[in-house]
Amino acid sequence: MSDNKHKWARKVGFGFGPNELLPARVESWNDKQLTSTFNTVGVAKRYSNVETWPEDYNFSFEDRLRRAHEFDEGKKEIEKSKKLTRFEKKKRVRTLKDQTDVALFDVYKFWNSAIHGEDMVKQRLTHFWTNHFTIGGNGRRSYVIGDFIYRVIYENLNSSFEELLYKVTTHVGMLDYLDNADSVGERSESAKWARRNGKMQGLNDNLARELLELHSVSPDRMYTEDDIRNSAKILAGWGANTDTLIRKFYREQRQNNSTIGSLERFIQEPYFRDRAEPGSKIVLDKKFRSGKKSLRQLTTMLAHDDFTARHLSRKLAIHFIGESVSKSEIEFIYNVWKNSKGNLEEVHKEVLNVTARSNGRKFLWPSTWMFQAIRFSGSNFLPGFRDNLESDLLNNEPKKILEELGNSFWESRQPDGYSERKDDWVSTEHFDRRIKVASRIYSFQPDRQGEEIATLLDFSDNTKMAIDKASNMRDKFIVALCSPDFMEV
Amino acid sequence: MLTRRHFLSGTGAGLFLSGYPVHGFTKNTIEGRIVVVLLEGGMDGLLAVPPIGDDNLFKQRKALVASNPLKLNPLFGVHPNFENFSSMLLNDEASIIHATSFPYVGRSHFAGQNVLQGGMLAPFSIKTGWLGRAMEIANIAGKAMSLETPLIIRGANDFDNFYPARIKHSRLPSFETLRLIQSTHESNTAKVIEKLTKNSMKMGRVSQARDPLSLAAEAGRAMREKDGPRVAVVKIPQFDDHSEIGTDTGHHPELFTLVDRTFGKLKSELKEQWSNTIVLTMTEFGRTVKENGSAGTDHGYGSVGLLAGGLINRSSVIANWPGLSNKDLYEKRDLYATIDYRSVCAACLEAAFGLDHDVISERVFLDKSIPRTYGHIFG
Repeated sequence: MSDNKHKWARKVGFGFGPNELLPARVESWNDKQLTSTFNTVGVAKRYSNVETWPEDYNFSFEDRLRRAHEFDEGKKEIEKSKKLTRFEKKKRVRTLKDQTDVALFDVYKFWNSAIHGEDMVKQRLTHFWTNHFTIGGNGRRSYVIGDFIYRVIYENLNSSFEELLYKVTTHVGMLDYLDNADSVGERSESAKWARRNGKMQGLNDNLARELLELHSVSPDRMYTEDDIRNSAKILAGWGANTDTLIRKFYREQRQNNSTIGSLERFIQEPYFRDRAEPGSKIVLDKKFRSGKKSLRQLTTMLAHDDFTARHLSRKLAIHFIGESVSKSEIEFIYNVWKNSKGNLEEVHKEVLNVTARSNGRKFLWPSTWMFQAIRFSGSNFLPGFRDNLESDLLNNEPKKILEELGNSFWESRQPDGYSERKDDWVSTEHFDRRIKVASRIYSFQPDRQGEEIATLLDFSDNTKMAIDKASNMRDKFIVALCSPDFMEV
Repeated sequence: MLTRRHFLSGTGAGLFLSGYPVHGFTKNTIEGRIVVVLLEGGMDGLLAVPPIGDDNLFKQRKALVASNPLKLNPLFGVHPNFENFSSMLLNDEASIIHATSFPYVGRSHFAGQNVLQGGMLAPFSIKTGWLGRAMEIANIAGKAMSLETPLIIRGANDFDNFYPARIKHSRLPSFETLRLIQSTHESNTAKVIEKLTKNSMKMGRVSQARDPLSLAAEAGRAMREKDGPRVAVVKIPQFDDHSEIGTDTGHHPELFTLVDRTFGKLKSELKEQWSNTIVLTMTEFGRTVKENGSAGTDHGYGSVGLLAGGLINRSSVIANWPGLSNKDLYEKRDLYATIDYRSVCAACLEAAFGLDHDVISERVFLDKSIPRTYGHIFG
């Protein structure tokens, strides 16, 4: 696979664009991709050069929370109004969303990183892990998704799975997305108080279930409903929705509580003792004492479980190699996972090694395919982040296109994430979108045309013939991008 | 001690345990139609169709029982948001199957959805869906009203999608170019592009809306055409709520309204073909009998199936009611499923496609032991 450098960069990244230098040695490029640190870059104006990502578009965690709060509060006010019609309310909420929005900037960062980033392998891995730990949603949660992607996932690509699992599980986006914010231990102080006052509080096992089923050991581990229930008890007390948290923070601040610190610190580890379930709990035969630390002990145990190593090795292999991946290919990754105790840098390195030796073909996600098409062809399809002079708002086409392709990390969707199977991405409507997007990409002056793409990427003779027969340059380009030779790698 | 109630509109519960072997093939000559409405996320069957005659319902649930359900019989009521559906029940063109599920107790959305679409006992064990396999045997075309092709319809010879794109300044290239793209692909993918090419040449305006109701309307319109699809799959997502799911109003009740309006829309758009149609809902599991701590319910087992369409002759609530006292619950928490929903799907296939029950059980569900419930639902 790694003989053709163009193909290799598409296999594990997004491909080398027309102005990128090819690496002399693939092996050292791989190493550098996994271990170096890189700057975030972007294009300010369409057709202009790449520059450093602007600082004012990097929102701090605190900033995101404040904006989410502003949106939440404002939305409540609008919806309370008795004067406004439903239509006017909707319009005002939309305007408020625009004024406080963060997600669109994150989406631009996401696109720019894929199309212009020097760290293409890290970006691909970020996409993989962001999908593995799915969170999503257009409202309140949209404010923290970028933080989840860049501060939690990206920043932990070289740490251990143990660390990543804990950080993901305790992130406010995840605690909210899988309802843990609503889960209260049945014997907790909070639940006792609620019962005395005729209210109801109790456990919600949604996050606990997915933590075991999707995020770590998988159902192969044959855990019981009690294991899920007890995991939920350990998780109880973690999280509250952002809005409640922020209001609590402001209240404390108003009461001049000098130990309260910053909003960011307050929400970093959102644990509330009064909602936690007292007493010890048993999960997968291991006993956990009560208290905040038990969650870290639980995620550590799950992260080092043999079934987690198997589950994740398989998932990584399928993501990069494809559905035809062999048992022995998975086994190589599994062995490194076991020996390194889930050291992600080591694991990712082995994923590249195994992928390099494999003949498997992967049918790419629509978003990966699109980013590759733009990067490899050198199209200027992505608007600049300062193109829109009249307003502070960015053009929302990049966000919309990901939604149209059915492959946006900002969409609300099921927690098992986007499928790795080709069958799930082949339908008349999916192809309709691929072809239309390919045509849009062509409209922004790609440097590489259909025929050149076919030559550089060793397309089959059959596909080259089809490109040859297409009647104009646009159609040649579309045929090239929508052929199996470009959709799979 | 509460005795178990056996509520059954037919002749007896025992009939569900074994099928009547019926020989011969196609019995009917009508061109029946099936619409499957996938309720993704696990619908709370006890909230939708509350067993108000079972006192234990009120012991188990403090809040989550609608205050004014429409009373159907001594045991069952239906949530008041099912307005259209209720009048269909009164009109002898709808039925309810309660305490039912696919044989899946794992409480995972993804495995559950795979079982109910694939139709196998083990999740992720087959690449085609039960509806797709039946369509292949009966040589019937269908349409999925979604961006992707859901598993349930895969395996059919002739299927298509509908979920209109919204990409500005963009349209499909010429017929010749689409043919060239097709020529680069193999097998199934090539077939999909061929279908897309054909669709692109069709004249006339189609609705661009993509909400479940508009998609159901589009499905109805397509299905009433002479050579239109005879199968449609419509998705209603977002039943996956665990907190404050709502009793009279709220998230789950709003979704009931949506399901109800979907039934209404299908009827009005299918027009004269409604009399040849059966619409059935499916959900991957029911919810826990008791409420959780956040005024919601968690993943459970038994739920309810709603059936409507002119192929039904006589409305009924069909259930072998397992009871709701603690000792009657599956793993002390869930409503038992006493009717295998595969047998309901099989009856719908028999009614709409005219396939023999044995053919359906052996070649569609690959399980000869599926009982025949046709007589209870369509008799």
